[in-house]
Amino acid sequence: MDYKYIEQLIDRYWECETTIEEEQILRTFFMQEKLPAHLLRYRAYFSYLKEAQKIGVSADFEERLRKEMERPVVQAKRIGLLYRFSPLLKAAAVLLLVFSMGSLVKHSMIDTTVEPMIGQVEDTIQEKIDQPQVAYQGDTLRLLKEDAVAPYLEKEID
Amino acid sequence: MGYSSVFLIEAMQKISFEEDILPLKDKLFRVAFRITSERADAEDVVQDVLLKVWRTHTSWEDKNSVEAFCTVMARNLALDKIKEKGRNTQPIAEENFQQADEQGLENAFLNAEAESIIVKLIEKLPEKQRTILQLRDVEGRTYREIAELLQITEEQVKVNLFRARQRIKMQYLEIDNYGL
Repeated sequence: MDYKYIEQLIDRYWECETTIEEEQILRTFFMQEKLPAHLLRYRAYFSYLKEAQKIGVSADFEERLRKEMERPVVQAKRIGLLYRFSPLLKAAAVLLLVFSMGSLVKHSMIDTTVEPMIGQVEDTIQEKIDQPQVAYQGDTLRLLKEDAVAPYLEKEID
Repeated sequence: MGYSSVFLIEAMQKISFEEDILPLKDKLFRVAFRITSERADAEDVVQDVLLKVWRTHTSWEDKNSVEAFCTVMARNLALDKIKEKGRNTQPIAEENFQQADEQGLENAFLNAEAESIIVKLIEKLPEKQRTILQLRDVEGRTYREIAELLQITEEQVKVNLFRARQRIKMQYLEIDNYGL
């Protein structure tokens, strides 16, 4: 058998002068079992190209794809500058709230500092409630600023 | 989904996902596989491509443009994959090892060995040459189709293919001569 044609095709193949059809002929030719010795070396290459056409996705590919296709699409939203910094703004708002509450509480504490004098008096009495004479002790009464209260206490004593 | 009914009405000119895009899966897989050399990665790539096309919900006018779009995307995603992983070189050859055993074990072994050499030769090619060789010699595409698919000129396709074939010829014959 004359292999001139094939040899010529191979030469033209390396030079990129073959047509699609001629390349097809080459690939098919090298699939056959019996080849002349001098052409044997080309077999692996051309038969590989032919075999490579059969490679494809695995059998369960389509099933997996369909599953993915059914899954609802999460559309990416356009995020504004305000939205992007919202965690920061939230944190700032919380801080603002805490500080303003803090200062509010602080102010109300300062307002009540006028009165604790009486509270203190009452406390000292309560602590020593089992000792009646404490009520008459000088240092307890001295704490009372207002004169209006003191005479009243004195009257009681009388 | 309303999507498919839209296609039913406009089926004459428009492309349907089921009939025109889904069947591209094996072709896209081979392009991606040639780049990633790993089945799982290549399948991921094909899935991403098909899902993206499915979700864009664009009514494609021209089948060739969809195919070109998918091929370009598959190639880019595959390139991203290997960049992400670093270069990995797992031979594709094992794929065909099982198919060859009709010819007897000895023969199959020899074939598989020769084939793994070929695979390595092809893998050594620069990516562009490799993809073009794949499209021409495996997929049987014309120069023009390849140019459209890869968005390069026909001249570039020819030059790259020529270099690829020359390189394979030289290296393959060299290995063959030293009887590896």
